[in-house]
Amino acid sequence: MKILVCIKQVGDDGDMNRFDAHALEEALFIKEHSDNTMPEPVSVDIVTAGPSTAEKIIRRAFGMGADRGFHIVTENSDYISSFVTAFGLSAVAKKTSYDLILTGIMSEDMMAGQTGPMMAKILNLPCATGVIKIFLPLTGKTIKVEREMENGFRDGLVILLPAVLTIQAGINTPRYPCLSNMLSANRKQILSLSSEDLFLEPIRARESCIGMEDPEKARTGRVLEGSVADKAAQLFSFLREKNLI
Amino acid sequence: MKQILVIAEIFKGRIRPVTWELVAGARKIAAILSQTRNIPGKHLPCIQIIVPSDNPKPLAEKISEQTGNAVIGLQIPGFKTYTSDSYIDCLGQLIREMTPTHILAAHTSQGRDFAPGLALELNAASISGINHIRCDETGLFYSRPVLDNTKNMLVRPDPDRPVMLTLMPGVFKPDSHKKGKTKQVDILKISFGSDACENSRIQPTKILKRPCEDQALKGAKIIVAAGRGVEKKENLELISRFADCFSSSAVGASRPLVDMGWIGYEHQVGITGTIVAPEVYIACGISGSSQHITGMKDTKCVISINKNPTAPIFRHSDICITADVLEFIHAFLTNKILKQYKGDNSGF
Repeated sequence: MKILVCIKQVGDDGDMNRFDAHALEEALFIKEHSDNTMPEPVSVDIVTAGPSTAEKIIRRAFGMGADRGFHIVTENSDYISSFVTAFGLSAVAKKTSYDLILTGIMSEDMMAGQTGPMMAKILNLPCATGVIKIFLPLTGKTIKVEREMENGFRDGLVILLPAVLTIQAGINTPRYPCLSNMLSANRKQILSLSSEDLFLEPIRARESCIGMEDPEKARTGRVLEGSVADKAAQLFSFLREKNLI
Repeated sequence: MKQILVIAEIFKGRIRPVTWELVAGARKIAAILSQTRNIPGKHLPCIQIIVPSDNPKPLAEKISEQTGNAVIGLQIPGFKTYTSDSYIDCLGQLIREMTPTHILAAHTSQGRDFAPGLALELNAASISGINHIRCDETGLFYSRPVLDNTKNMLVRPDPDRPVMLTLMPGVFKPDSHKKGKTKQVDILKISFGSDACENSRIQPTKILKRPCEDQALKGAKIIVAAGRGVEKKENLELISRFADCFSSSAVGASRPLVDMGWIGYEHQVGITGTIVAPEVYIACGISGSSQHITGMKDTKCVISINKNPTAPIFRHSDICITADVLEFIHAFLTNKILKQYKGDNSGF
């Protein structure tokens, strides 16, 4: 069984997107708990689309236990459409016949949550988003999952493989890279690709970013001044006035 | 005639209230288009609401009655419960025969699941998690939260194709309902794929409800809620002590704490936990994700303690306290007046 995990570099520190770390952990957990129950060994590949600095999170994924790493090297850009990313990742996914494709429910920076379900559509695979539980071990041609809904509800599904799942936080606790993996991680080769390698014509976004703004205030927000003790005293007086304490 | 389409959100055979917010969003788009497109002879887009179900007639009639808009009941034979495959396939078949400019769905666990795929099916642009609909001289554009809710990104779809939009729940205020002016209700039957529903790639098993005793949160006048700012599980003890200062209080928590197993799910405030509206909400070290804000925004008075002055929670607060939350609570608990007060009231 072949698993592909799509990961993204986010934030000023250039770390792996938190939700993708949960997806990778889940893939590694499946590998460890389904290796004996599946007809063939389980492998975990990872792919990322990002600038050259994204190599950092591929090395981290190797350190956690990923087998192969693909890097679609892109230009530094303020706005990358989920649509363009989904096509790039799908092109890599097509090169190997994966049984399961996992990614985070969304990225922490763009927060769109579109890449996973768009990949499913491009690859013509079934998709479930916000997966909070996967039933193991895997044994055959289907996967049993629970999807998180609002107000404590969960949607139980049995999905035919191959499939795309986007993973919600809370499903697991991502492991730290282990030393032995980290040492071999530096020797492992990353398979780098450019979008020219993948497409004859560039994929064009269907929307564009025209600016950024500070969100407006929903409430007045009186800011307490002074030392921490002063602020504590002011809050106490406020609550006392309102007869709450 | 061009259409602005709204996909009603149906859960367990009922219309979810976010549907009325989607209609409000559609009306806002229609109003903007009517101001900017003053071209004689050109028809304005009309709003049509689509209701997918195996028996859509009663739901469609109810929506038409509530909104006064035209409703299409999309009848899917054998359809039992939502799956992304069935929605993308059946809505795709229906909408391909129409000429929409905008397709609206809710940015919920359902909308987020099918909207990106449906957008590709329809060759449409796709923008998710919208919190504002706006326009300038070029036309409509949309704002959506990014970077952990600290910024809004303004996004404009290409004008040459329809756009699929998912709207953040709790942002667009439903209009007053226009009862009595019931518009046309059409029922259209569309089969899911070539196979029967039973042979589909996604088999729904059952919808489960996570056991959740949210009565403590619902009943409390004051909620003291902890977020990642408490740093470690052991510090939740301090939050409890803070909450104990008040007579009718409960301890709440943001999602990450529940995910990490520090505190039970019954304490989780937010869309995926419990929706609360106490007299006072004290957010301790909570940055303020939109999921969390939606879960407590009807609170009378919000007090926030966070060491990051740009934390999004401060935009939703009546009193903002920039401080390390642990240090602040220590200061509060050792406050002279509090001590004195406690001394005056043995048993407090």
